[in-house]
Amino acid sequence: MRAIDAVRRSGIGVGPDRTIRDAALLMEEAGVGSLAIIEGDRLVGIVTDRDLVRRGLARGLPADARVDGVMSAPVVTISADADLHDAFGIFRTHALRRLAVVRGEQFVGTITIDDLLIDLTADLADLARPIAAEVLFSHRDSGPLVTT
Amino acid sequence: MYATVGDRIIIKGHHLGEPDRDCEVIEVQGEDGTPPYRVRWDDSGHECLFFPGSDASVQNFDHARS
Repeated sequence: MRAIDAVRRSGIGVGPDRTIRDAALLMEEAGVGSLAIIEGDRLVGIVTDRDLVRRGLARGLPADARVDGVMSAPVVTISADADLHDAFGIFRTHALRRLAVVRGEQFVGTITIDDLLIDLTADLADLARPIAAEVLFSHRDSGPLVTT
Repeated sequence: MYATVGDRIIIKGHHLGEPDRDCEVIEVQGEDGTPPYRVRWDDSGHECLFFPGSDASVQNFDHARS
């Protein structure tokens, strides 16, 4: 499975000169928790709702401050065509909950730990189903007891 | 995904009870209708770049009318 195949949620991108108020409004309107900051065609940063609070509100930045002032950069990325297991490796070695997926330097989406966990849980449930059935209903496969 | 200017993109809600969201494509930046798209949100009129995931689908009005 490729990294791009694990992108479940649509990504939203804005320029670095947008305000943090715009960023917050877009997060609310699009129902996302992070925005890609894009300059030209290039991904230059990621801003999360947490960044808006900790680096914006908590430091007393005005609502019209530029969003690139609170973004995280440089961005940890994974190639869209990379194996998804490479993403697990990145999550293992970095303190991230979201991983930007790129083609070259172009942002194409985000993989979140939440979505990976939901997928894994569904996979585990599929794998466990036949085992659970065997444990719970194994007596149906047994033949009648024979006494001599 | 393929879209043209004027199409509407529908994004399914991710949580129980969360409504679907939608926005209008105002510019196609990829080749031959492919992403990214510049979109406008109805409520605020804000514009941004949109990179569709599997939660998004395109409602093409020309096709819908025919």
